[in-house]
Amino acid sequence: MITRRSMLRGMLGGAVVTLGLPWLEARAQAAGFPRRFGLFFWGNGVLPDRWIPPSEGAGWTPSPLLEPLADLRDRVSVVTGMQLGVPNNVPHFAGAAGILSGAPLIDPYDNETFSVPSVDQVIAAKLGGATRFKSLEFGAEAGQGHSFNGPHSRNPPETSPHALFERVFGAGFRLPGDEPIVDPTLALRRSVLDAVNDDLRRLKMNVSGADRQRLDQHAEGVRALEMRLAALEMDPPDLASCARPDEPAAEYPDIEGRPQLAAKNEAFCELIALALACDQTRVFSNWFTEPVGNVLFPGATSGHHQLTHDEPGDQPEVFAITRQCVEAYATLLRAIQRIPEGDETLLDHCAVLGTSDISLGRTHSLDEFPILIGGSAGGKLRTGIHFRSAGAENAGKAILSIIRAVGVEAASFGADVGEVRDGLSAIEV
Amino acid sequence: MFALLVASACDSSVNGGPGPDAFVASPDAAPPDAASADAAPLPEAPALAPTLNRLTQAQYRNTIRDLVGADVVQPPTLEPDSKADGLVAVGAASSTISSRGVEIYEQAALSLAEQVLSTPERRARVLPCAPRGPDDAACMRQLVERFGRRAWRRPLAADEVEAVVALGLASGGGDFLTGARYALARLLQSPHFLYRVEIGDGQRLGPYELATRLAFFLWNAGPDDALLDAAARGDLDTPEGLGREVDRLLADPRAREAVRNFFEEWLGLDELAGLRKDPNIFRHYASDLGQSAREETLRVAEDLVFTQDADLRELLRTRTTFVDRRLAAIYNVPATVREGFGRVELPPDGERRGFLGQVSFLAGQAHPTSSSATLRGIFVREALLCEDMPPPPANLNTAIPQPSPDARTLRERLEVHMLDPNCASCHTVTDHIGLGLERFDGIGRARETDNGALIETAGELDGTPFADAADLADVIADDPRFPRCFARKLYSYALGRTAGREDAATVRALGDRFDARGRRVLGLVRDIATSDAFRTVAEVAE
Repeated sequence: MITRRSMLRGMLGGAVVTLGLPWLEARAQAAGFPRRFGLFFWGNGVLPDRWIPPSEGAGWTPSPLLEPLADLRDRVSVVTGMQLGVPNNVPHFAGAAGILSGAPLIDPYDNETFSVPSVDQVIAAKLGGATRFKSLEFGAEAGQGHSFNGPHSRNPPETSPHALFERVFGAGFRLPGDEPIVDPTLALRRSVLDAVNDDLRRLKMNVSGADRQRLDQHAEGVRALEMRLAALEMDPPDLASCARPDEPAAEYPDIEGRPQLAAKNEAFCELIALALACDQTRVFSNWFTEPVGNVLFPGATSGHHQLTHDEPGDQPEVFAITRQCVEAYATLLRAIQRIPEGDETLLDHCAVLGTSDISLGRTHSLDEFPILIGGSAGGKLRTGIHFRSAGAENAGKAILSIIRAVGVEAASFGADVGEVRDGLSAIEV
Repeated sequence: MFALLVASACDSSVNGGPGPDAFVASPDAAPPDAASADAAPLPEAPALAPTLNRLTQAQYRNTIRDLVGADVVQPPTLEPDSKADGLVAVGAASSTISSRGVEIYEQAALSLAEQVLSTPERRARVLPCAPRGPDDAACMRQLVERFGRRAWRRPLAADEVEAVVALGLASGGGDFLTGARYALARLLQSPHFLYRVEIGDGQRLGPYELATRLAFFLWNAGPDDALLDAAARGDLDTPEGLGREVDRLLADPRAREAVRNFFEEWLGLDELAGLRKDPNIFRHYASDLGQSAREETLRVAEDLVFTQDADLRELLRTRTTFVDRRLAAIYNVPATVREGFGRVELPPDGERRGFLGQVSFLAGQAHPTSSSATLRGIFVREALLCEDMPPPPANLNTAIPQPSPDARTLRERLEVHMLDPNCASCHTVTDHIGLGLERFDGIGRARETDNGALIETAGELDGTPFADAADLADVIADDPRFPRCFARKLYSYALGRTAGREDAATVRALGDRFDARGRRVLGLVRDIATSDAFRTVAEVAE
């Protein structure tokens, strides 16, 4: 957090400070530890019969697929029995859009875009202004990811831990207590960005409404970078647990035609935990694998997607793969939980949603949708419970509860037939 | 009931798009009269609202290479491309620049500007004068005017020049080159560089906009000085002048890069970078096999288009290919060179021929541990015949049976699948094609048996029978939908938007002409580049 003294020094010390008001407000208002939102996403769903915990309420008993979360049980809530409110017109993609944006696809033949922002960006629009990065996106086998600012406006994920390390902890990162950076080139770079913004503003007058939106998106990125450069001239955030992580391996070569999913994910999780601890961002999404992803998992005899359809019987290979996905989610929660914040841990100040694009892969079903929530978002969410919806409620209600819990005053989540206006009170405190 | 299901699920009319029928004659329609199609003028050009296409990764890199030199280190990553209608060139009309993209382009611009000013030799590429001091405004102006015209693909307006010059002079801190660096970096971060601003006057593109569209179509890079000069002189407004420039661009080596890029997008070869196979099943797999396979297909395409100027159908029929040692091993032919790619002739009586016999297709459209009749069939339908395949309906059991003594081959297993009318409506359309290719396994090796049973390849494509893959290549090559589909894809690619209903007549006429003239790709490229449709636009949409 920034002190009044250091803020004054930043303003009066001769450095050019052109911060927007929201940035200062967010800093000034931050009392206690900030709340953060994370998303962990894997493709191709689950096996609901081995997913649903056998007991409801507090102290849930891990199901076979949720066993990797056994040691985190009191920090994780499981929500079952809910379904998506959107039409299931494009297997996998309709479900990804349904759970992550609460809205149907624009065009049932166009799986390239959501119609409205994804949940991480709904939250980042409110929480993102306070930090160097509005949000961070990454993932071991992320593909294009599904973090959308709006139609066709995707935030592409980093697929290399080293690239994420360079981006967050390379040039421009400062530890708490580091002096503000005195670098005349920062002002020059910002004057260039100002000029680029002028270009964007003038060009916007000559293009179509759709293209204007695209240029607005571009301009938002330019403003974000201007703020990031300006922030270098101020004191860095001074959270006690902040540290620079070890540099991850440059590459994670495939082994036997199989990506090193677990190792890569672990490296990403270590990085994001410290990125949160250093308040470099408050919103992230971890795209572990992608919808329809046909990755060869360790030990599997075929690609994941193919197995969900073709493996006979009770699908032991799909089971083993889904367990690995849950294990990767547990890895993320543990990395975050390891970091102390005050008397609690970083995880206590987070809500980390774990979900997928469908429920049962074999039939592409959207009922019995998998939803995991790690952390209580600063005591706003109940943890350690299994809530089972009796009436197949819209899964968007759980998402709306999360959005509100991390501090976004939202009247609703989603759009069109997927829209919800009520949260899920059973998981709210 | 069966016919009804076919109509409801695998009929492209549900797509909402124009569907193939609007573009191509149905397979049983009478072929167009060659002579009249050849001579007929194109119909009136469709006028659609212009779009602002972002430079694709390849366009950014090629344009930068031409601007600052091939020896300058390019940024390691760029904003990802997105596809529409299977084409990156069309996806560019809707893709945006994220905040990570802004970071990337900023770092790239600063680094590129620094590098090109770092040595006298490089400097000469962008700086036409010797600065007489840190405040040499005249020299800064020359730099901005010259580099700006190339980077923004039009002369800068006077106020634009002055603003950049002022920024350059103010940024130097007593050093001209430092200021120049910021001026260049500013030009390279501008939307005028990062997007193709081809807006027109409500009716047609202006000369510089046309030059830009020509350069990106024919070079996949920005225009050079000569093309901008031609635009300035008004040459592009006359058929002779336009034809002259099109021929000049096509004679340049960059045209080969551009044609390769089109084939890469059309045939989805970019996906091969992530090709993964289980090496325990496919001992020929290595992590760079995908790159080898991509290169083979691109070399065949380049040879077909430029060296042979051959009928497009040869893409499917040719026995000539270019392989490295790894591909030679998969094809079981001797490699002709130790390093790199050598030309080889496949056995004249073998089943392997053309693109459908190449690893890029056979392994690319397959699973990591097995072949896939469905993926291969869908690809043929969508990419080669321009049919839109709907996604499978939801809430169906999609499992195909495992191999058993009763059903050992994929065909036998899929037959069970096809007993379910919900599945059959589409899978008969796709799988019959793919099953004809089953004597190539999931990496593209020839085989006779599947799970110990002999593979049967005979089938039919919309009523035309074929015996095996070699035969299927002929059937698709001779299908009138194939050249027309190619024309439609190339047209969408050239204009950077999906050919829609309004374009159907033009695309059909271009396809007829292409067909009548022996399906020479460069002929079609020329026809598109010089067509009214290529430079016609409507008012900017609200």
